[in-house]
Amino acid sequence: MSRGALWRLFYRASLGDHAYKFLFEPGPPDEAVALDCETTGLDPRHDDIVAVAAVRIRGNRILTSERFEAFVRPEDSQAGAESIKVHRIRQRDVADALPMRKVLPDLLRFIGGRPLVGYYIDFDVRMLDKYAMDLIEVKLPNPQIEVSGMYYDRKYGNAPPGTVFDLRFDNILKDLGIPPLAAHDALNDAVMAGMAYLALRDMKARGVRIRRDRMGQGPPPPTGG
Amino acid sequence: MPSAFDASNPPFDRLTQEEIGELRAALDIAYLRPGEAVLIPGQKSEHLHVVIKGSIEVRDGGTLNAVLGPKDAFDSRALVHGAAGEDFIATEETLCYLIPRGVVLNLISRNAGFAAFFYSEVSAKLDAFARAHRQEGMESVLRARVREASRGPAVMVPGDATLAEAAARMQEASINAAYVREDGRIGVVTGMNLAKAVLLKQLPLDTPVRQVCHFDVIAVDAEDFIFEALLLMTRHDRRRVAVRTAGEFTGFLEDIHILGLVAGNSQLIPGRIDRARNVADLAAPAQDIQGQVERLHRQGVKVEQIAEITSDLNRRLFVKLFDLLAPPAIRKHGCLMIMGSEGRGEQTVRTDQDNGLLLDGPVPAAELTRFRQDFSGALADFGFPPCPGDVMVRNPLWSQPLDGLLRQLRLWIMDRTPEAAMNLAIFFDAVAVTGRTSLLAEAKHALAEMMRGERALIARFANLVESFETPGLGAFSALMEKVGVAADAIDIKKAGIFPIVHGMRAMAMDRGIMATSTAGRIEALVAAGAFSAAFGQELLSALRVFMEYRLRAQLEAVRRGVLETEALVLPGSLSPADRDILRDALRIVRQFRETLRSRYNLAAFG
Repeated sequence: MSRGALWRLFYRASLGDHAYKFLFEPGPPDEAVALDCETTGLDPRHDDIVAVAAVRIRGNRILTSERFEAFVRPEDSQAGAESIKVHRIRQRDVADALPMRKVLPDLLRFIGGRPLVGYYIDFDVRMLDKYAMDLIEVKLPNPQIEVSGMYYDRKYGNAPPGTVFDLRFDNILKDLGIPPLAAHDALNDAVMAGMAYLALRDMKARGVRIRRDRMGQGPPPPTGG
Repeated sequence: MPSAFDASNPPFDRLTQEEIGELRAALDIAYLRPGEAVLIPGQKSEHLHVVIKGSIEVRDGGTLNAVLGPKDAFDSRALVHGAAGEDFIATEETLCYLIPRGVVLNLISRNAGFAAFFYSEVSAKLDAFARAHRQEGMESVLRARVREASRGPAVMVPGDATLAEAAARMQEASINAAYVREDGRIGVVTGMNLAKAVLLKQLPLDTPVRQVCHFDVIAVDAEDFIFEALLLMTRHDRRRVAVRTAGEFTGFLEDIHILGLVAGNSQLIPGRIDRARNVADLAAPAQDIQGQVERLHRQGVKVEQIAEITSDLNRRLFVKLFDLLAPPAIRKHGCLMIMGSEGRGEQTVRTDQDNGLLLDGPVPAAELTRFRQDFSGALADFGFPPCPGDVMVRNPLWSQPLDGLLRQLRLWIMDRTPEAAMNLAIFFDAVAVTGRTSLLAEAKHALAEMMRGERALIARFANLVESFETPGLGAFSALMEKVGVAADAIDIKKAGIFPIVHGMRAMAMDRGIMATSTAGRIEALVAAGAFSAAFGQELLSALRVFMEYRLRAQLEAVRRGVLETEALVLPGSLSPADRDILRDALRIVRQFRETLRSRYNLAAFG
């Protein structure tokens, strides 16, 4: 899903505000940012971001102590009742929040040129692009690392035709033995994606595959061993 | 994620809301590859790790000491005391929270409850954590039932009985108040009423009791709570209320009885033992000795003190039972002794009776046979389970003249079986409770002389500690099955208590130390330079930890009526802090076993 080199060049050339040139520099080696947005809906054209969270990943560590977290006030549309139910972010919470044009500069500086890690990260990036186009006339050029894609490679990469895929986030977490945190909290979702990323990256490095017949790892034994 | 960190997980439950906030804000998460070494011995740690998922093996050279799982924290030693003592290696894909050292040290300096988790001494740590779930004290007393404190029997005298008759009936039943039946009414007369009538009003002794009793009886039900009874007593200004069970008067509840609940009523038991006039009278106090163990534990009394109180009461009981049952010849020539854990004063919940009789000469055979049966039988009736090894007065082997026993001890020394060594061990813990106590002293000195400094004999004796493994916590199920229990349970008696108790016994025997309690032996061994005072303290600490966990398991087993599990601890059912304490205690035992192995070259026994 990473954007092509040509597009990167184009956006770099058309960047409205040169203070954001750092987005096009490669980030520090062995760093990435796990990111998640909570939105009012699933259509980037009409829906808005209500919360965004990002955590840096350095080597094998998720630096939750240096997280970025913000509630966002939608500029126009009203948060639909449906998404309120999903995120449990009410209008009242959102009322204390800042509009995206105030949040985005800090978020972009937090991300820098680092690759973005997430579950269906393309959707989050497209949501952010909408605001980035307004602010600095570019789409986010950062490389994207798709957790569900990594999971697919480890689990179904050599699957015979006709295999049924299950790429649901909670299923991926279960398969990797990652305890589910309260979902639909942007920071928790970003952290869980980060944990899945580190586990899958290491499994790839070691050439370990996820067995297709196993149904999660079951509860850990009481002593852990 | 910071919000997802489980703050209810001990020791973090000790932190205030604000402190938890600080901790959560500072957290990072680490991913560990299978095989990755997180800490190696000597290394200082910059973080306290708390496992989120996966598992960490704790190794000491080739030995697997423990396997840590979710919610376990490590390693306080590497964090606070400078350096890790063991290897910590991830065995699978593992995620851990990382709490920076600075944050932990800061919380330790501010929050004493949290700091306790990082104490280096394991029993201090246990005390700090045990106290938390024991702040019941008075609370539990008020929520006890009336029947737990009240005393019977209910003695009913007719209204026309004389003052003298009423007094005699009350004296006979050792009670301070009696019921009076008069014209279908029930009244109460107290010892104080009688005394005042005679001494102050100078009524004649043949005055009918109806004239001094009162009929406004305040009664509670045996199933009522103590606090309800207390309210009634306060409201009516009474020191005593009548107790009904299923509608019938069954006794009284007095203020002193309630006081008894607070202190585990151990101070009332000796008097009741002394007052017993026959074996049947001893049954109730014998029952109460057992009942108070649970109560003392609930009120937060330390296990070594519970053991001390219980063993003192048991000894009084044995003495009284001996006085009641022994015919004059046995009383004159015999010495009653208690052995094993009872002798060491380390028994809390009764597991068996280890007792015997030494004689300084022949006594009438029929009397001896009868005494053997009666004594052991009475204890069994009181709830002392028979000893599986038959180390009881009723076994002629354990109730015989001194010279016979000395011969037997010599045979056991020659015999190379573990059973013989176990018999020697049990006898070495013997304490004389009553009778010709010099007999036992003589026998024990003879045994000490036979064994003292005999390296080969002592080594074979010490080798008993090799009968059971001390497994790592959560280590392989195969190890657990070896000690005959389910994969995730630890038999704390075999894995922890026995190695320390027996190791100390062997070392004491080696040096001719005659103390019987393990604490006393440790003290004497330290004084004799057998090991450092610090190591002695660690071992005593570890023993107390095991005794405490065992007592909890025993009380749980008693509650559930499954006595086979009385020494089993399920690490999975412990809190992470308790698991951490148990892990430390097991490490100390393993270290001690190493000491024993090298000192007595136990490897030679295979």
